[in-house]
Amino acid sequence: MMQMLAAGGMSLLTDRERQPDIDNPRGYCEWEPIKLLPKEPDRIDEAEGKAVKIISQLLLSVPKGRNYKLIFMERPLPEVLASQDEMLKRRGSSQPVDSALLTSAFRDHMRDIIAWLEVREDIPVCRMGYRKVLSDPVSSAKTVRDFLDFDLNLEAMAQQVDPSLYRNRRA
Amino acid sequence: MFGSHKVKIEGELLDKVKQCAEACGYSSVDEFVVHALEKEVNKVLPPSEGGSTSKEIIKKRLQGLGYIE
Repeated sequence: MMQMLAAGGMSLLTDRERQPDIDNPRGYCEWEPIKLLPKEPDRIDEAEGKAVKIISQLLLSVPKGRNYKLIFMERPLPEVLASQDEMLKRRGSSQPVDSALLTSAFRDHMRDIIAWLEVREDIPVCRMGYRKVLSDPVSSAKTVRDFLDFDLNLEAMAQQVDPSLYRNRRA
Repeated sequence: MFGSHKVKIEGELLDKVKQCAEACGYSSVDEFVVHALEKEVNKVLPPSEGGSTSKEIIKKRLQGLGYIE
């Protein structure tokens, strides 16, 4: 999604500190200071007018009083966990946690996040299915453009979608 | 004992459920239905006592991935 936004003409807030690797060969588009949000929530102001990647856990630290638009990427949980497992193995920090317990924990987490978003009415949300983006990139790009109300290049956005990067898929 | 229980979904409802599951990126109708039921159950029943454990698991996982400090 971050690659789509950049290709479409939106500025990203990213430091490119995390280098491309086998897990993410086109780079991470991450911004390291986003991790400081729980302690320094005002750091979000550096993202004004730009798109910044934020994991669901850190959303909870986003302060009020700003105009946000959130594109919430959703992917089947088994695929998310499988992808994370691969990354953890490569990082050498594999954590032996019971699979059922882990799945249950992430379901709890997602439930909390969705409930929190319903309370935060100041944050408009566009929920985007990962598979939907892959199967219909043009329509997905249009959905994002309409949601952001920003003149994005739909063709350039759609061209960023690379199904070959869809790994850890589950039936 | 947890056990299991089968529910038959058919007709127009099944078609709509399939559409929703696909649109939201669920890997199967089953996964979508279980998630939908979990959401409804949590509206009615108080949160489980495993809440703090779940949060700790998530925190360690995300730290291991380098997503949080």
